[in-house]
Amino acid sequence: MKKLNLSLKNPIVSYIGFGGLLMLVPALILAGVLRNSTLTLVASVIFYSIAALGLNVLLGWSGLVSLGTAGFMGLAAYISAYLTHDLKLPFELALVAAVIIPTLIGILVGFISLRIEGLYLAIATLAVSEILRKTFEVFDFFTGGYSGKPISFPTILGFITQTPANRTLFPILMYTILVIFLVAVMILIHNLMKGQFGRALNAMRGSEAAAQAMGINLLKYRLMAFGLATALASLSGVLYVHFIKYTHPGSWTLALSLNLVAAIIIGGARNIYGTILGVFVVFAMPDLILKQIPYFGTIPNFAFIVNGILIIIVIMYYPYGLIQITKDFKKIWLKLKERFS
Amino acid sequence: MNDLNEQTVLSISELSIAFGGIKAVDNVSFEVNEGEIFGLIGPNGAGKTTVFNCITQFYKPNHGSIRFKSKQGQTVELTHHKSHEVIGYGLVRTFQNVELIKELSILDNVLIGGHIDYKTGVVRQAFSTKTAKMEENAYRAQAIEILKFLGIEDRKDWLVYGLPYGILKKVELARTLMCNPKLIILDEPAAGLNDTETLDFANVIRTIRDKYHTSILLVEHDMRLVMDVCDRICAINFGKFLAVGTPKEIQRNKAVQAAYLGTEDAA
Repeated sequence: MKKLNLSLKNPIVSYIGFGGLLMLVPALILAGVLRNSTLTLVASVIFYSIAALGLNVLLGWSGLVSLGTAGFMGLAAYISAYLTHDLKLPFELALVAAVIIPTLIGILVGFISLRIEGLYLAIATLAVSEILRKTFEVFDFFTGGYSGKPISFPTILGFITQTPANRTLFPILMYTILVIFLVAVMILIHNLMKGQFGRALNAMRGSEAAAQAMGINLLKYRLMAFGLATALASLSGVLYVHFIKYTHPGSWTLALSLNLVAAIIIGGARNIYGTILGVFVVFAMPDLILKQIPYFGTIPNFAFIVNGILIIIVIMYYPYGLIQITKDFKKIWLKLKERFS
Repeated sequence: MNDLNEQTVLSISELSIAFGGIKAVDNVSFEVNEGEIFGLIGPNGAGKTTVFNCITQFYKPNHGSIRFKSKQGQTVELTHHKSHEVIGYGLVRTFQNVELIKELSILDNVLIGGHIDYKTGVVRQAFSTKTAKMEENAYRAQAIEILKFLGIEDRKDWLVYGLPYGILKKVELARTLMCNPKLIILDEPAAGLNDTETLDFANVIRTIRDKYHTSILLVEHDMRLVMDVCDRICAINFGKFLAVGTPKEIQRNKAVQAAYLGTEDAA
């Protein structure tokens, strides 16, 4: 029998380890070291990371720009909320339906719009996203319209519900589910991108002519990448609505899609940890760090300014994203080790 | 459609394509035989690359037929197929300006050439099942074998970005070999290579023909390489057919000389 490779150099092991690290957050909250609100903050990094990983398949690996992520996330969130809250269907069923329906719509949209490229594709996906957002506002019997749609925590596996007894533990259970999904998505993306499918996407981005000459059907692979990105955006939307327990049309605007694009550029295109780092910088840093800075923290939209500056710095010095900094750290560490040994 | 006779692998007849009012290729016909190294030459702008793009279906010709004897042994009319389907019949090409993916390693670039042969689907790849792993490893071994044959196996993990042209050309060649081709089309393989690299490349082309039992069709400016390596040559000028024959016959051909050096009247 082959020995299992358990070193951290094995990416799968490191992803599971990363999931374990994320589980320290609720442990520290229970121990009273971290505040309760930190759980929501880290959870938001997790579900946005899932959408961002999907978008990275599109933007990073395939070189296609989509500005429609928020629309599909929102659609999935509303579908799942409607199915569990209004129709009282099981959470697991709602999750599957809320991933499949937007993905099918996404593939349909892709089939029409993926014949065009670059900025035009971005505009087409933006249009779809805005149509979806408008739908959320208008069809209020389904979405609750402008007042939003509050739901309660789902019943998991048909019997685990939130009761007054497990008030503090239930959010942690939901958080655990998020972590499991994130680790699974990381592993799947890793497997896909290092193999034939990932190489096809790389080829498509690097040289369409070479890709075609090597037998890669551009439309087919664009559609597959688009479908994968939409499916992960939908999963992200479902996890969002069941953790936050609320969805509102204002959550699914162009700003969210743009922030996800920014997260990928800042963190690192075609890099799994880079994507998560980028999401952390864009979505968690404003609340966690920026607002604590005296004087500057009170400037409205200060986070936007910081993101803009970060994008410029990253493009100039770290073209493969902030995740490259880890390499610099490694170099410094090796130098220090040499000096003191 | 008539089947090709036994020794012919590619037959181009009465090929014409016009861009706007300009006839880039005008009524060109030639045939490439099994196991042959065939050269297509002509002065700048003669339409050589256009002929290549028509064969590989990057351009759709206005007129004419391009018949190919596929790996599967059937005669295929290539003009009825899309550019990404051509490789499935065993016809694969390189590019004038080397089209590699610069963010990938040499090995990964070569593996792209094996794309169409993968049997495992995306789902099995996502879960990295045993069959998916086995298949990936088998193609990896094949790619390494090809890189070894071309003498660049020791650099297989290097990123393509920034490598010298001579190596890039070899990587592109290695990529074409992954699909066990019947006919390899090389677009200016010696462009950007120095003299020793060109000599080296001529040997590589011959060895590939012998080892992989393929035919090779090449477009080239470097006359020494063409005359040295080709069994037969077709010369075209301004999109029109001039002559076809052995290198010696082509060198002696008056029309070819006039096309390259000009006629005395014009001078």
